[in-house]
Amino acid sequence: MEPPKIWREKRNRYIGIGIECSDCSSKNFPYTKRCPKCGSKNVQEYKLSEQGKIIQFSQVNQTAQEMMLNVPYTLAIIELNDGITVTGQVVDIDYPQVRVNMKVRMTLRILAKDGNEGLIKYGFKFVPLD
Amino acid sequence: MSNEEVYIVGHGMTNFGEFYEKNASSLATQSLNEAITSAQISKQNIQHSYFGSLVTNSNAQSSVGAESLRECQIPTPFTRVEAGTASGAAAFQQAVLAVRSGLYDCVAVIGVENLSDFVNNSTIETILGSTIDYTWEFEMGGTLTSLYAILTKAHMQKYGTTMEQLASVPVKNHKNGALNSKAQFQKEISLERFLKAKRIADPIGRFDPATHCDGSSSVILASSDFISSNNFDNIVKVAGIGQGVDSLALHHREQLYTLKSTRNASQIAYKMAGITAKEISIAEVHDSFPIGEILAIEDLGLFPKGEGGAITEEGKTAINADVSVNTSGGLKARGDPFGATGIAQIIEIVEQLQGQAGKRQVENIEYGLTQNVSGTGVSTYVSILTREEVKQ
Repeated sequence: MEPPKIWREKRNRYIGIGIECSDCSSKNFPYTKRCPKCGSKNVQEYKLSEQGKIIQFSQVNQTAQEMMLNVPYTLAIIELNDGITVTGQVVDIDYPQVRVNMKVRMTLRILAKDGNEGLIKYGFKFVPLD
Repeated sequence: MSNEEVYIVGHGMTNFGEFYEKNASSLATQSLNEAITSAQISKQNIQHSYFGSLVTNSNAQSSVGAESLRECQIPTPFTRVEAGTASGAAAFQQAVLAVRSGLYDCVAVIGVENLSDFVNNSTIETILGSTIDYTWEFEMGGTLTSLYAILTKAHMQKYGTTMEQLASVPVKNHKNGALNSKAQFQKEISLERFLKAKRIADPIGRFDPATHCDGSSSVILASSDFISSNNFDNIVKVAGIGQGVDSLALHHREQLYTLKSTRNASQIAYKMAGITAKEISIAEVHDSFPIGEILAIEDLGLFPKGEGGAITEEGKTAINADVSVNTSGGLKARGDPFGATGIAQIIEIVEQLQGQAGKRQVENIEYGLTQNVSGTGVSTYVSILTREEVKQ
């Protein structure tokens, strides 16, 4: 895991920062210097909706070494209430209970660990809303 | 576009599998030498070499082409093309464009990968993670397998595709692979074995993905001018090529049950070849996971959308059925050394068109197609080949 990359992405990954374009009003994630829709440089930081629903999901049993601490885990594509879609893990729920369209909210958790003495990478995951 | 046509005049390929005794360069050398011999041309005729490879620097060696070309004594300039798991087809299409432009008359295309050499500080999951959105899919916990699992579930939900239909893809491909002496796995596997295997990412089982292995494959391309000044028989023409693109991340796509890049790439290739999907009687498609082949045969227009699962289960994609799909055994049975896969697909169609496919031979082929996909479909390369009778 690369320290500059983790540092650079921490606001996006910890609290979900995307952009809102002041010219065409479109919202996008992740953060970019230009609006991917109209090309304008006139973009502001935008905090993603913290709630959304599951579009599709799977259970991961085999993954990269630094993420094995979480296995097995549920991976899902989430559509947030503001219409932005992201990929993330759904935690604090047993896999057989996970459903398409289930409502979830964003939370901060450990994504990966570089062994016992290396870096810990944090990022947003999702938990059931109720 | 210029009138310069492009022909495949020679091909060569190593066995695919685990070769601890060979490095990437020696694998590439082996297939390239074989291709030159089969083309019956002088090495001096080759003006440029294109290498398709995703991770050859896993041997701590970039510029893999340099060492192979030294071993083959071909002092040409070379270019390495990387397009994820579709690096082989990407290199092939760049080479086709170079000949078509009139710049070169004869070029070599080499696909090579040596995945047995342990990647520095890395694992196969991380390499595969580089073919999807590394930051916003892979680092969030997504693996290539789990994203294909999501594509699989989306297709099952939309069209009612069943686990038995999905498993009939690798069952058929292993049956074909058993007839291919270059394939990594030359034996059949039962439907039950696929269905009972442990799930690695629900609903994808342990035996569903293609294996990542070592191998190299090469073709020699030539222009119309080169063809007319040399004696060739039984050559194959590149009738059409096309590339399609989609978002890197699945979460940015409008639909999860269609590969837009495959649809677009095939439409461009059909238009260039002046044909429709109906004229394709054989196809080598990217079956890195069972859903990959089902999406391919639907989105290439070979079968109606949503019916890919049922059609495979009914045997309509078997050798000499409606459309013969993955007669080589596909990525699943042949093995998947990323960069070498796209060229191996081309070679299977070439051998089929030339009537040299032995027990796998499909009858009465006019047009054959290859489809090579990167990641979950960020890029697809479709190439259409046809037989050319040369007037002597």
